[in-house]
Amino acid sequence: MLEIHDLKAAYGQVQVLHGISLNVPQGQVVTLIGSNGAGKTTTMRAVSGMLKPSGGRIELGGKNITGLPAHRIAKIGLAHSPEGRRVFPTQSVRDNLLLGAFTRLTLGGQRPRGDIQGDLEKALDLFPRLRERQHQLAGTLSGGEQQMLAMARALMLKPEVLLLDEPSMGLAPILVEEVFHIIGRLKAQGITMLLVEQFAAAALAVADYGYVLENGRIAVHGPAAQLRNDPKVQAAYLGGAAGH
Amino acid sequence: MDILMQLLMSGIALGMIYAVIAFGYQSTFATSGTLNFGQGEALMLGAMVGLSFNGDVLGGPYTNYWLMIPLVLLFGALQGMVVEFVGVRPAIKSKSEFGWIMSTIALGIIFRNVAENIWGRDDMPFPSPLPTAPIHIFGANVLPMELMVVVGALLMMLLVELFNRRSIYGKAVVATSSDRDAAGLMGINTGLVITFSYALSSMSAAFAGVLIAPITLTGASMGAVLGLKAFAVAIIGGLTSGLGVIVGGILLGIAETTTGFYLSTGYKDVPGLVLLLLVLAIKPSGLFGKTTIKKV
Repeated sequence: MLEIHDLKAAYGQVQVLHGISLNVPQGQVVTLIGSNGAGKTTTMRAVSGMLKPSGGRIELGGKNITGLPAHRIAKIGLAHSPEGRRVFPTQSVRDNLLLGAFTRLTLGGQRPRGDIQGDLEKALDLFPRLRERQHQLAGTLSGGEQQMLAMARALMLKPEVLLLDEPSMGLAPILVEEVFHIIGRLKAQGITMLLVEQFAAAALAVADYGYVLENGRIAVHGPAAQLRNDPKVQAAYLGGAAGH
Repeated sequence: MDILMQLLMSGIALGMIYAVIAFGYQSTFATSGTLNFGQGEALMLGAMVGLSFNGDVLGGPYTNYWLMIPLVLLFGALQGMVVEFVGVRPAIKSKSEFGWIMSTIALGIIFRNVAENIWGRDDMPFPSPLPTAPIHIFGANVLPMELMVVVGALLMMLLVELFNRRSIYGKAVVATSSDRDAAGLMGINTGLVITFSYALSSMSAAFAGVLIAPITLTGASMGAVLGLKAFAVAIIGGLTSGLGVIVGGILLGIAETTTGFYLSTGYKDVPGLVLLLLVLAIKPSGLFGKTTIKKV
């Protein structure tokens, strides 16, 4: 569904990605793990068009999306829940969700319209905390609630592929558990996902396949179960043999 | 007492004109962080084009005042798009921090020169669509056109606010204002939103032009001072607050009419500028400006 070949990206003169290739097959959850500064968020930004790649090729459902602006990639069916949540603070939770469905609501939006009200209800069912706060301004939500809003907003696009960048960042442990529980439910619904996470153990537990990113290159990759048992991956990213 | 009332009423009408122009400054600042320093010229062009439709300057009149308004609004929107396309977009694209300042000022000067060549340098009267006999409100003589200024200005701002709150396109404009990158991820073409905000900005200025023209005179140089004072209003009220420009505009308008009468017309521009300096010293984000809190 999402295929990345030899992707390169740079911030000014500093090259961050030195040619990475990864593949997210339809209906699967693929996770990208690695330490801070390895290039995980840069990969996500280059895929969704927030950052123009300096080389390589990205295909979404067979369409070449390399270097397209973010709004055109969204129309082709990629939703990105970005690092730092980036909800629209001066607008209500409900408006944030409607904006997530922008490509379905507007002329020339290109995404099939479908049942937007129904999907909004489904999103609020999935995140009951958001239902209680649907008329509140998004800026007044707690960090955890904002994270859930960012995920729900991305789902409103009815994406072919969903990118989740650090959905657990800065959350209390109980909320981290809830977020992973929800990712599990989305997987059960058949949603194709690329997940970037600091909590490598939890990410590998929910994912089908994993890639380990080191200094802008893919160091190891394999089925998630295999990576969980890889001694090197355990030592570097899973807190020793103790794991989860 | 009657005189004071008179000054307040005139001040409010003048202030609402400032508010509409300042509203235009806000609209582009919100979406792109840039301003059109040719706002005064956009106002002047609006008034001149309006006069060409319903006055006799270019062989007219072709339409009456009311039919002319939508035509002027359309003209204003197109003129704003030209400013954005020629002056602002290249500066934003090249990540030039200040390029747009010079280019919008330059375009403003070009527009003024073009206007001087088409319509001449002399000020011209603008036919009033309403009776010119004043009506009495609270002991003050108010021109029907002054009432029209206040109603028209408020109506326009109300319509834009409704658009922003109720329609998905308006919500997209607000979203672009708060986080351009995130808005792009929603599938919103933020470049187009910026073009739209320039269209809206010049459209408001052109509308202000045809509102004020029947009260004052129309001429190629009418916009410069209005544009500058409206900029002061935008700073006083806060570049992010809709209510701020109305309050700021009325404050400045009243300050000018009262100073003009009680002190000297020679000093009428001073209190507004003193107010501007005070606001900049004490509350730089403007009287109603918000400092946003970022959650981590």
